[in-house]
Amino acid sequence: MQLKTLQEIIKKKENKSEFAIVTNLATGNSEIFEKGKSLSKDFDQFKNQINAIYQSKKNEVIEGTDIFVESYIRPIKVIIVGAVHIAQYLVNFASSLNFEISVIDPRGYFATEQRFPSMKIINKWPDEAFKEIETDSNSALIALTHDPKIDDPALQHAIKKKFYYIGALGSKKTHENRCERLKKSGFSDEQINQIHGPIGIKLGGKAAPEIALSIIAQLVAETYKK
Amino acid sequence: MKNSFDEKILDEANDWIIANQKVVLATVIQTWGSSPRPTGSRMIVNEKGDFSGSVSGGCVESAVVRECLGILKEKKPFKKIEFKISNESAWEVGLACGGEIAIYLEQIN
Repeated sequence: MQLKTLQEIIKKKENKSEFAIVTNLATGNSEIFEKGKSLSKDFDQFKNQINAIYQSKKNEVIEGTDIFVESYIRPIKVIIVGAVHIAQYLVNFASSLNFEISVIDPRGYFATEQRFPSMKIINKWPDEAFKEIETDSNSALIALTHDPKIDDPALQHAIKKKFYYIGALGSKKTHENRCERLKKSGFSDEQINQIHGPIGIKLGGKAAPEIALSIIAQLVAETYKK
Repeated sequence: MKNSFDEKILDEANDWIIANQKVVLATVIQTWGSSPRPTGSRMIVNEKGDFSGSVSGGCVESAVVRECLGILKEKKPFKKIEFKISNESAWEVGLACGGEIAIYLEQIN
């Protein structure tokens, strides 16, 4: 692989682009495939097969050829509401899992760069903050403030946008109250039951990093259920 | 759903090159049967034999390092290698899981 190609790949990953690397295993040539862009002569004759592998987000050698295709997809967006202690550990765990994280908290004393270095922090109320983040059914929400004023609008947004994972911190009692409020706001039981509350899988720990681990474990498990 | 659990090996490869090291990139391109790491798994090796990342569960990495050093020495730009199930002789490199993997080695230049 040429250094030029390697550096282009790194740049594309930073920009969260979707692309594939195609390599001719017989000649050693490799280049970047992107939707709608033409390929060099070496690869052009295989463009339909390359596109099929890219669409299915796989890495494989095209059958009967020496062409290897490796797909790069956009990381899943995870929105954390509440720049609290648990969130600091979540950000650390999630960084090695390559989720794309945004932290929302309208409370300026929580959402500081000092507490979340080199993170996308949005110091706004959820309704305003979600105008800045494009979300869909491939997004996840982790609500950590257990303050209805902050969590509820975020949960409502996530339900409406059909996030694949929605979790909310709080005791069973807190969660029951939360469900009641959402019901009164017109959400169905089916919609409300999508919320993982109390959040996380049962590990038994109560410390902030332990709770963060239980949340991230649940998030990964739900990612592969889909 | 699939997430891009990127291990940042390519970023590390670039860092090594910036630090004036020679880098060989090893990528799992095909697997048969049960194999420890999926297609697309990567490791990098420099001219001193330092390595990062993985192409198996520790089963064949030492042999991959040797092969990478070999292509650097012979100035070969790329090579394809395969590993099959190991037999019981203690020092033979292979996959204890019974799978087979093909790995593509390429110099970054």
